[in-house]
Amino acid sequence: MTAPTSTRRRDGIPDAGPLLQVSDLVVKFSTHDGTVHAVNGISFQVEAGETLGLVGESGCGKSVTNLAIMRLLPKPAGKIAGGRVDFDGLDLVRLSEAEMRDLRGKEIAMIFQDPMTSLNPVLTIEEQMVETIRAHRRVTKQEARARTIALLSMVGIPNPESRLRSHPHQFSGGMRQRVMIAMALALEPKLMIADEPTTALDVTIQAQVLELLRDLTERSQTAVILITHDLGVVAGMTQRINVMYAGFIVETATTPELFAAPSHPYTVGLLHSIPRLNAERHEPLIPIEGAPPDQRRAPTGCPFAPRCAWRLEVCWTDNPSLTPVVAGTRVVTSGAGATHLIACHNPPTTDEAVAGRPLRPGFVAAAPPGVVVDELAASLEATPATAEEVVLMTGEEGPISAAGVTDLPPTPPPPEGDES
Amino acid sequence: MTTVAAVTRVEPRASSGLWRDALRRLLRNRPALLGMVLIGVFVIVAVFAPIIAPYDPLARFPTRQPPPGPTPAHWFGLDLQGRDELSRVMFGARISLFVGVLSVVIGLTMGGIVGALAGAAGGRVDNVLMRVVDVLLAVPGILLAIGIVAWLDRGLIQIMIAVAATNAPIFARLLRGSLLAIRESDYVLVARSLGASGPRLLFRHMLPNALTPLIVAATLALATAIIDVAGLGFLGLGPPDPRTAEWGTMLTDSTKFLRSAAHLIFFPGVAIVISAIGFNLLGDGLRESLDPRLKR
Repeated sequence: MTAPTSTRRRDGIPDAGPLLQVSDLVVKFSTHDGTVHAVNGISFQVEAGETLGLVGESGCGKSVTNLAIMRLLPKPAGKIAGGRVDFDGLDLVRLSEAEMRDLRGKEIAMIFQDPMTSLNPVLTIEEQMVETIRAHRRVTKQEARARTIALLSMVGIPNPESRLRSHPHQFSGGMRQRVMIAMALALEPKLMIADEPTTALDVTIQAQVLELLRDLTERSQTAVILITHDLGVVAGMTQRINVMYAGFIVETATTPELFAAPSHPYTVGLLHSIPRLNAERHEPLIPIEGAPPDQRRAPTGCPFAPRCAWRLEVCWTDNPSLTPVVAGTRVVTSGAGATHLIACHNPPTTDEAVAGRPLRPGFVAAAPPGVVVDELAASLEATPATAEEVVLMTGEEGPISAAGVTDLPPTPPPPEGDES
Repeated sequence: MTTVAAVTRVEPRASSGLWRDALRRLLRNRPALLGMVLIGVFVIVAVFAPIIAPYDPLARFPTRQPPPGPTPAHWFGLDLQGRDELSRVMFGARISLFVGVLSVVIGLTMGGIVGALAGAAGGRVDNVLMRVVDVLLAVPGILLAIGIVAWLDRGLIQIMIAVAATNAPIFARLLRGSLLAIRESDYVLVARSLGASGPRLLFRHMLPNALTPLIVAATLALATAIIDVAGLGFLGLGPPDPRTAEWGTMLTDSTKFLRSAAHLIFFPGVAIVISAIGFNLLGDGLRESLDPRLKR
């Protein structure tokens, strides 16, 4: 509609950059008990037609990242506090609300987790779809209706003509998610964000819906960001995977690389916490101990350190940035063209990744800094607790405190490369 | 053959909407049916009073004091001025229905606009509007109505405004509450993610979903409106012409003869109770049939 915003890429000038480039995106939520650091400066890109997986546990910032891209963060609490989101030559962070609205649905569309609540219960399928089409295209009702029928049959809804005047409650969950996909694809967007599209569905339906999603987006060359906490879902769908933890991207790799050579302790933990069909009969699942950190505190150190079996002393104080996986741990392209990046001071080796735990003899995860000293000091002169100590006492149990106790008598482990 | 039959039988069900389901549930609800019958009688009497009433409500017949009770010629007896009580009760229904319905419509409009503004805009607008609503809700309804009629002088329109003013804050708060809940719902987020604009979100996606509690509240408010109108009449704030047949005013005139001419209290009183019960039963039935969680 508005000339300067949408004609940029339609004049035949070839694209230089990726379709979507997120740079140093920071999202914060103001709540009654302080600021929540939901997304802490993440960068990634999506090429046209590519399918990117965004993996991580609940609350790690996957959905928030995508709501930020869509500029649909809950107002007034959620705010983009920094960074750029470049989409097709536009910086989405700086677009006006009207320009952004014009983009939504037409250029970027979204599918949500729960198809049971994603459709308006009082409107018919026809009303909702025709409305979406006519919001962005100047077509008559009849044309929009014909397009709706074509879309519904494309997503595999039998007798689309007769289902047009049905209300959402007359469809099953899988059918509703098909309708959602049809709505999202109605205007042939360049990018589709699928936020856990199969989580709420029956397992037998999940595969069907994923396959449909893959077929349709491949055919229309639509780029997809697939958000999920299920590594099984991304395995067959994506070209590249970003693993997120506590608002950071901790590992990014092509899908084959990630599954062949998981290199961040969190990714290793994720892969070991799901059952595999080809596993040895009695191979136990290894859960990731503890819980994600309280994101109301600005992160210091590696966010995964409290739960990490590989942590060093430096992990408590310095948050590593994304760097190429170095040869030696695993052979991956290094340097500028690196396709496999991790944010880790002490990545697991191949054998350790397979085993799911550190194998180096004598290696013990580093105790939090100052905990020994502080405990002594506290018992002697009752000094006020430091911030780190408060977290220790309230938040994490298991590995940290256990590690802390075992570390008490001898000297703390050496800082780096304890591979003797 | 069988498949064709199956298809044609499925077809109307597939196109039957939420409203038709609700209507079906409503018709199976006995108290609601009784309510509809009572309201039906009330409305028919009100509309056709000039035709079905046996006498002119203002015509005076020779009488004694205290006036006689029911006779074959005057089923409900005569009032203090010798007028036919049955005709007066019938004509009184007109005023109750007319003023009751219009005041609820006015209240719904005012409350609806305020509630929609507050619920859709949120933030400071919401805060200011809701504090005003709080103040209005803090004043007892009938007191507010008396105050307004005392301020604007007596008259049917004034009564409507007064009764509307007591109802409007309730509607405003109700609509605002549902809109706030709906604003956070998934389908509104979906509509936004598909590029729906503000007005369309409000009018097409949010308001229709917020309507059902408002319909129930409006039906129940009709019952209170009829009682409020009668109450104002009883307190001497009824229609400006004292001869007008109005249920509340009729009660006032006859309180002095409670023992000697009880029919003058009984018949208008029963008329008020029946119409109010009718709307209450229907309102409760609507609440049950419109609530999808109670779907059977």
